Amino acid sequence: MSRESTTPPPGYDPAREHMLDFKVDEQLAQLVVSERKNFILTTIDEVFNWARLSSLWPVTFGLACCAIEMMAASATRYDIDRFGAGAFRATPRQADLMIVSGTVTAKMATRLKLIYDQMPEPKWVVAMGSCAIGGGPYFKFGYHVVKGVDFLVPVDVYIPGCPPRPEVLLDGLMRLQDKIRGRKGKFRPPKWVQDYAQKIPYRR
Amino acid sequence: MQDRDIYELLAGKLEDAELAWREAGPEAYALVPAARIHEAAIFLREDPRLSFDLLMCLSGIDWDGYDESGKGKSVDILGYNPDGTPETSDRVAAGDLGVAYHLYSYRHDHKFAMQVRLARDNATVPTVSDVWPTADWHEREAWDLLGIRFAGHHDLQRILLDEEWVGHPLRKDYQMPDRWTEVPLAGQPYSKNPFKQDNAPPAGGDDSGEG
Repeated sequence: MSRESTTPPPGYDPAREHMLDFKVDEQLAQLVVSERKNFILTTIDEVFNWARLSSLWPVTFGLACCAIEMMAASATRYDIDRFGAGAFRATPRQADLMIVSGTVTAKMATRLKLIYDQMPEPKWVVAMGSCAIGGGPYFKFGYHVVKGVDFLVPVDVYIPGCPPRPEVLLDGLMRLQDKIRGRKGKFRPPKWVQDYAQKIPYRR
Repeated sequence: MQDRDIYELLAGKLEDAELAWREAGPEAYALVPAARIHEAAIFLREDPRLSFDLLMCLSGIDWDGYDESGKGKSVDILGYNPDGTPETSDRVAAGDLGVAYHLYSYRHDHKFAMQVRLARDNATVPTVSDVWPTADWHEREAWDLLGIRFAGHHDLQRILLDEEWVGHPLRKDYQMPDRWTEVPLAGQPYSKNPFKQDNAPPAGGDDSGEG
């Protein structure tokens, strides 16, 4: 079933069409063509991007049931270490990836913000599971649940599932690696992070 | 020993207390007045024929809108709308609160259930945490989620929610909060934007950064 034959989903915004994942490859090809005259800088960017995507070190941020699947992905059968992401750091100071796996409660949201701010740039966030994407099964009656971690931190990859299987988590990791591979220039967090999520207080 | 006989023993020990025996629900229980619960707890634990040394569960109950026979349907609690905003209602809660105690004896292998009924605006019951130490955290949970005070508890504070939370969420008239100290608790409808990019604030937000 080709993608061009389906009708766009409700809420589809043509102004953001260039951000669809299957269109990123075309943009990457055009980028390579347009930057051919800037060969040396492009190569350095590629080398740095390759280095970053091949050694994404996650910070241990397993919150709930998705953490079990994340542990399974880091175990022997599904082995996240072959992607270079097997070194889970206990301290955020040495990590550059935060896999938010599990439900984010209001009590945990302040600590999540603290951990995210302690990570040095460049840093990426993966929302794993339906609780981290949009509140999950606690959307209707969760009085203490943040309905999605993207209210707190900018998310790069959303991995649906409840919980997603380990190979789906690895697929999301590979998608993030594609995103890093297509990066250009310095790491800049989205501008809305400064004023939107800045007001969330820190707690230990 | 059958729980009916245990009830008779308990009623015999507490002569002037108005105990009652309820069998209508899924499990039969004894209704104990709140002032005598501590005495009843000590008797149930210390008597050698009973020796209830394990408090299996201590839980708070909100009887608002519930049928007394145990077969009715409770009121619908407020939640979040599909677009993420909290539901509102002008319904005033009526009905009692309650505390349920489920006991078990390792020695005699028998169970017993008790319950205390409390008024909604003055829900205070003596603590049993000095009789069974496990009641310490159970009573903290009942205070946190239902607002039932336990007189004599050494450290009655919130256990699940944050210390600065306002309100008791498991009451039937609790309205879901929209936010809690800048942490947003209202959601976005999932079908509204499948790319989840509407969560960025609209005022000049440039969300095409490298992050």
